[in-house]
Amino acid sequence: MPKCLVCYKWTLDEQDIKIKPDDLSLDVSRAKGKISDFDRNAIEEASLLVEKDGGAVDALTYGTTTVKQSLKDALSRGPGKVYWIADASAEKADANVTAKVLAAAIRKIGPYDLILCGEGSSDQFNQQTASRVAALLALPCVSFVSKLSVAENTVSATRKLEESQEDVTVKGPVVISVLSEINKPRIPSLKQVLGASKKPNEEIKIADLNLKPEELLPKAVCKSVKGFVMKRKNIIYKESAAADNVAKLKASLTTEGLC
Amino acid sequence: MNFDLTEEQQLIGQSARDFAKQYLEPIAVGLDQTGEYPKAVVQALAKHDFLGLLLPADVGGAAAGFVSYVEVIEDLSRYCGAVASIVNNHTIAAYTIQQWGTAEQKKQYLPAMAKGELLGGFAIFENGPMPGVGQDALVATKHDVGYVLNGKKAFVRNAGEAGVYVVFATTDPAAGAKALTAFIVPANAVGVKVGEKLETMGLKGCPVAEITFENVVLAETALLGALNQGVEISAKALAVASVAEAAQTVGIGQAAVEHAAAYAKQRVQFGKPVAVLQAIQTLLAEVATDCHLARLGVRNAASLIEDGKPFEVEAAMVKSFLVRLGPKMLIDTCQVEGGFGYSETMPLPRMFRDIAGTTLLDAPGDFPEKLIAANIG
Repeated sequence: MPKCLVCYKWTLDEQDIKIKPDDLSLDVSRAKGKISDFDRNAIEEASLLVEKDGGAVDALTYGTTTVKQSLKDALSRGPGKVYWIADASAEKADANVTAKVLAAAIRKIGPYDLILCGEGSSDQFNQQTASRVAALLALPCVSFVSKLSVAENTVSATRKLEESQEDVTVKGPVVISVLSEINKPRIPSLKQVLGASKKPNEEIKIADLNLKPEELLPKAVCKSVKGFVMKRKNIIYKESAAADNVAKLKASLTTEGLC
Repeated sequence: MNFDLTEEQQLIGQSARDFAKQYLEPIAVGLDQTGEYPKAVVQALAKHDFLGLLLPADVGGAAAGFVSYVEVIEDLSRYCGAVASIVNNHTIAAYTIQQWGTAEQKKQYLPAMAKGELLGGFAIFENGPMPGVGQDALVATKHDVGYVLNGKKAFVRNAGEAGVYVVFATTDPAAGAKALTAFIVPANAVGVKVGEKLETMGLKGCPVAEITFENVVLAETALLGALNQGVEISAKALAVASVAEAAQTVGIGQAAVEHAAAYAKQRVQFGKPVAVLQAIQTLLAEVATDCHLARLGVRNAASLIEDGKPFEVEAAMVKSFLVRLGPKMLIDTCQVEGGFGYSETMPLPRMFRDIAGTTLLDAPGDFPEKLIAANIG
């Protein structure tokens, strides 16, 4: 009967983000928030484990003040309680800062048998949170998990790597990062959505995590974020003979370094 | 004044959108082609509590409120108007029982309706000029044990799949509609005969048929509301249904304009996407504006219903607006997509036929403009 914690991130919905044509900067003024896609898989996996074998699932999130918008969404997906840290430091936090804050919070609210994260966040996709948190907490980390089961205190996981697949067993407590293919996140039913407001949430003040100010400063500083727009060449080959058009196409591709 | 949906309403809308994407998008085209009732999808709707959305918790409903309901209907309609119609007709039947039923009637029917074990149908229309009038009028004659129904009901949605119908019959043919009375009729009552499914222009998959009632014996306990209260009940129920139907229209219109906008951005003519042409932008802007304003009108009417306030005028305004502009949304978006928009390989022809079903049918007993004009000033 594991006690699980899922770490999730509240990100902007990329479908709502527009790219300004003049300088390719991002217009996020109308972008709504969402729970990062892979974190939904992590929440779902923890909820399924507990629904099957008993135990409890808590959720933990660190973000700016907008993170409060995520609480009912997270709770509607299975967790019984959500902890949240809302701080301006999250605005520019890199993976190093995020992991320190989460690890400090876990030391405060834990212990947990299983700590789950998504493979990476929908926005930055650094894929570092799970391994950094594990290192800070001196726990084993099993990443890129596509299949997971828990029996007694032993976690069995299948890791999907680029060219191979690895089956791993590890004694808990353990930090796991999950891939999107591990499950299909539930669509919360109406009763689950409405029941979320009855579940508890607890704010953790960053001042209570005993972190030094310099620990909240990012080591990797993001200078700018630009959109990527695929530009069409709009070249039309109009030779009368097909073979000539093919030759011209090949020449164009060669110029572009594509063949 | 806050026009935003609450957090719960937004989350409910998101659940509806995710549900529609997962369950409705893959079947919408096939449903339009075959008209086959989507049983598995209706079961999934029940599992996600959509069929009991308006019903109170003590009968197993979600008690999510009418604003959430129209949000759900709009989101379902973006992908499949037919499924939204199934939900609407079931919900209005359940709503009518909830509002006017006795404690026993609610206990007998609503828990099963909330769980989707019993689908509802609403049988009001007849082949005559109005319910209770004409040779096929459904007549309820007093009987030893209660009433006997004889006659027909036309254009009954969910017919043949519903397990229970809310039916309106006149108890006095001479008085006609003035003696209209509501009854709850189980679909398996002896003498209830569902006719052949009607081939409709759109909203295919939501079955529509005539129902014949041949000496259908009902106990007194089948009476819904008071004797001769049928006009009041049906008027209120239809007015509520019209707001939900307006949400369907908005959903279909929104889906159409988004599809047309995406098409216009990638359709290149004379070296540029047609989206840069003023004529195209005007068409798209008008449809998007109409959808936005109609959505606000729908939410306003829904909010009034939820608060138990008078809403009929606001409902009539939204209905009137969309009867005029709903089909135009599809005319304009088809124009944007040009010849391709006219092809059944694109979704707009299906949406065109569906939006006709949400704007041209089920008008309130009295046409909306009369009610609006009577309430000006």
